[in-house]
Amino acid sequence: MNIDFLQEANKTVDCQGLSCPMPIVKTKRAITEIHPGQVLEVLATDPGSVADVQSWTRRTGHEYLGTVEDGPTFKHYIRRAALEQTEPDKKHPLTASHETLLAAMEQDVQLLDVREPLEYAAGHIPSAVSVPLGQIKNWITEHQHLAQQKIFVVCHSGNRSDTACKILHEHGFHRVFNVVEGMRKWTGPIQVPNGTHSGPASHSKES
Amino acid sequence: MSKRIAIIASQGGMETAFKVMNIALAGAATDAEVQVFFTFDGLDIIHVNAAEKLTLPAEKQHYVEGLQKANVPPITDMIQMAQESGVRFIACQMTMDVLGLTKEDLMDGIDVAGAMTFLDFAYDADVSLTF
Repeated sequence: MNIDFLQEANKTVDCQGLSCPMPIVKTKRAITEIHPGQVLEVLATDPGSVADVQSWTRRTGHEYLGTVEDGPTFKHYIRRAALEQTEPDKKHPLTASHETLLAAMEQDVQLLDVREPLEYAAGHIPSAVSVPLGQIKNWITEHQHLAQQKIFVVCHSGNRSDTACKILHEHGFHRVFNVVEGMRKWTGPIQVPNGTHSGPASHSKES
Repeated sequence: MSKRIAIIASQGGMETAFKVMNIALAGAATDAEVQVFFTFDGLDIIHVNAAEKLTLPAEKQHYVEGLQKANVPPITDMIQMAQESGVRFIACQMTMDVLGLTKEDLMDGIDVAGAMTFLDFAYDADVSLTF
């Protein structure tokens, strides 16, 4: 193993004698005290830390450099990632309010509803096309001709639609907008099993 | 979107408290959003007198030595660390009514809410656990 980083460590956090989850908790704190690109040395005696430190770096985007055993002590080396690398879960930047969507709906607009079929059936925006999140890649394959079009994506609370927007963006659909407020706050026109209403889904039983 | 971990703590005692805080702290260390919903005996974990309430029954006393040997922090420290790490604690309103508890009976920084508040979070959670 290349152990050049032994000399490079910019900070050491001592977790010797500590049990799970403390080595990870202390590592997490210590990493914020060095700059991106710098190396953190984690001293631990917990054998579980060997696997845990690696899992932690995978999840947080930091770089696991290696572990050196020194008697009962494990020395783990981690390079802090650049800021953008530590935010792999950043939100899709293009969003649309309900107001924007309503205005756009006056013209012909692509609107995808990525909730599950049952949620869609219970009440959806009339012009919305049902594409459950799990089906989004199939939809992309079949709708390459829409890649340049403006597309709005909605779900219940804005989370699944965020994921869908990111997948669409990765596949060359660059004008996709997440309807962040979701269907749960939608007060515009809605299509329910018994017809169309202008109120929210929860008030749609009067017919 | 960061990962979400939804935990229900429905039992009391030191053992349960450790299990809940262990996962909550590890989750917070990976920048996950963590919420713990405390209900029934689980409320002991966030009671102002948690230190006295979180005990080990006689048949579990063998853990005491091991916990010290493994240098596991006191449970009250772990609870505090979890709160400092941004773990959101929710106390079950219904259980509080049943037990006649008020917010003053709980540690600081606890939200009191109903099952729906937890579900609203849990619907979009990546991991859901019950203790």
